[in-house]
Amino acid sequence: MTELWNALPLVIQILLKITAILLPLLGLVAYYTLAERKVIGYMQVRIGPNRVGWRGVLQPIADAVKLVMKEIIIPTKADKTLFLMAPMLAIAPAMAVWAVFPFDEGLVLADINAGLLYILALSSLGVYGIIIAGWASNSRYALLGAMRSAAQMVAYEIAMGFALVGVLVAAGSLNLGAIVAAQQGGLFSWFWLPLLPLFGVYLISGVAETNRAPFDVAEGESEIVAGFHVEYSGMGFAVFFLAEYANMILISALTALLFFGGWLSPLPQVWVDGVFLLDDGFHWLLLKTLFFMYLLLWLRATFPRYRYDQIMRLGWKVFIPITIVWILVVALAVVYKLPPWWSV
Amino acid sequence: MLDNYLPILIFILVGILVGVGPLALGYLLGPRRPDQDKNAPYECGFEAFETARLKFDVRYYLVAILFILFDLEIAFLFPWAVVLDELGVFAFWAMVVFLGILVVGFFYEWKKGALEWE
Amino acid sequence: MGFEKFLFYLFALITLWAAGMVVSRRNPVHAVLFLVLAFVSSAALWILMEAEFLGIVLILVYVGAVMVLFLFVVMMLDVDIAALRAGFIDYLPLGLLIAGIMAIEIFLIVGPANFGLHAFPAPAPAGTDLNNTRELGLLLYTVYVYPVEIASVILLVAIIAAIRLTLRRRPDNKYVDPARQVRVKKGPDRIRLVKMASETPVPVVAPALEKESDE
Repeated sequence: MTELWNALPLVIQILLKITAILLPLLGLVAYYTLAERKVIGYMQVRIGPNRVGWRGVLQPIADAVKLVMKEIIIPTKADKTLFLMAPMLAIAPAMAVWAVFPFDEGLVLADINAGLLYILALSSLGVYGIIIAGWASNSRYALLGAMRSAAQMVAYEIAMGFALVGVLVAAGSLNLGAIVAAQQGGLFSWFWLPLLPLFGVYLISGVAETNRAPFDVAEGESEIVAGFHVEYSGMGFAVFFLAEYANMILISALTALLFFGGWLSPLPQVWVDGVFLLDDGFHWLLLKTLFFMYLLLWLRATFPRYRYDQIMRLGWKVFIPITIVWILVVALAVVYKLPPWWSV
Repeated sequence: MLDNYLPILIFILVGILVGVGPLALGYLLGPRRPDQDKNAPYECGFEAFETARLKFDVRYYLVAILFILFDLEIAFLFPWAVVLDELGVFAFWAMVVFLGILVVGFFYEWKKGALEWE
Repeated sequence: MGFEKFLFYLFALITLWAAGMVVSRRNPVHAVLFLVLAFVSSAALWILMEAEFLGIVLILVYVGAVMVLFLFVVMMLDVDIAALRAGFIDYLPLGLLIAGIMAIEIFLIVGPANFGLHAFPAPAPAGTDLNNTRELGLLLYTVYVYPVEIASVILLVAIIAAIRLTLRRRPDNKYVDPARQVRVKKGPDRIRLVKMASETPVPVVAPALEKESDE
């Protein structure tokens, strides 16, 4: 089996690995949409979709088929090339980010040294899909939504970047595998505890970055109908949708990785060493990721939408000062080897 | 270096394909019956009065400029965070000075009301 | 090595083509997007030269931030391209002349005589475990710590300049301060309960008064 694998050309090997990452990811995205409707349904004492298949399990497939069969409408005055390019610009970075994501110890497609920087750079590209979609549609609502969304993403990206710098200071490396390794030692060695304020800032900024409720003024249905993608129909809309949910999964997975020890087991190493399913492994990462994915849905069902000026205030006036202070606190602890986490 | 970045290059190309694929599929399978009203930009059922390109508050540009400046700051912070443990106290105080100067700017923004969204 | 060379020429060609499109496209938004493409492919070139950190920071700062500002500006300003292009032919000879002189000057300085492979042989490629960011950090925060602090002063100047130039407060603008809003406490801030008797004994003169107010 290994010989057969090694005999394949390098490019084919890489393509197979990419498929092995993307197919489960896209499946997860599809069922995340169903989970969202179900979870929010139950939270509002409804049942949610239950017609297609057993308890609605085939709903995502039905949705996909419906969207494929729809006409792709291109508005008359739209900039046709850019209008069609915008969904691709939204999804390509959302997919490519996963190239450096480690799923287990050593199980990573591209183990680059600057992993975290790469993730930050690629997620900063997500804003292009939105701005271009809004501008190319030549529609007022789309442009308004795009501008709001761009200014919001930009404000929260700073907070997010600072929170990531805090993680770097604590871990001393940009490599994602090394960041997880630095959290070795059970539940209380994970970075969520020493970096608690940064964890909060990161998670909330992540929600704001993906334009999700309660920060979804960019697509607030009741005021600017759907924001930047109001003119998109059929698959054009579906691709934006895909990108948004893929980004939500990424935020959840990164939170699990950076603050909750990734694939590390919450129990101390001496207890679980070699014990089936209790030992470190991909299942822990998956479990933690699923928890944060659920949390994002929970947030949407719970909180009313923020007002735009409140969003901007939270990003600039609350998060940035918190992160700057906490970066220095953590740096102080690292440099002066302060207990309990950084005593040698 | 290339060994590490080749998968990324291929992944980006595949990512673009993930965008192109569904659009092409939708284009092939979906109907194409354009008409004037269907292709008109949406404006709550009204005819669009004028071009959609509207002028925006200068505040948006201010936010974008401040974003660039803080992004540059993050670019300086990244290498610092990586070497902090090795360089120790000196690097820490170097960054305290660096951030201190920028915090002055941040206070200025705050007091001037540049962060207010009215 | 062959494949690396191929990638170099591919990205170099894309960079040049995109740069050419930046100056020749009529639509300013398209021009900005071609500039983005030029930046991305030059980032790829830098990464080929093993400048991993700089390559990614180029994308983070230029593509992710600077070009977003450019897009904001270009999208919202109605730049009249036709007017800008008037007299293109008239200025063409002069422009070509200046461009030619500049090309010769650049060639004289960075041409093969000064920067050729004899003067600067290609460095041996470092292994994949060389941590670019770390090396850069070690230099920046020891040898070049003074320039770094100066950079922070320059950023400070930029912050102040940006605010002085663009911030205009509109005195007629009514708005609520969210900072004050979120400080509202349950209880006296939101609702005031007033104790009062539900009924007061009606004075005898009341009917007369009521009649007066009716009129």
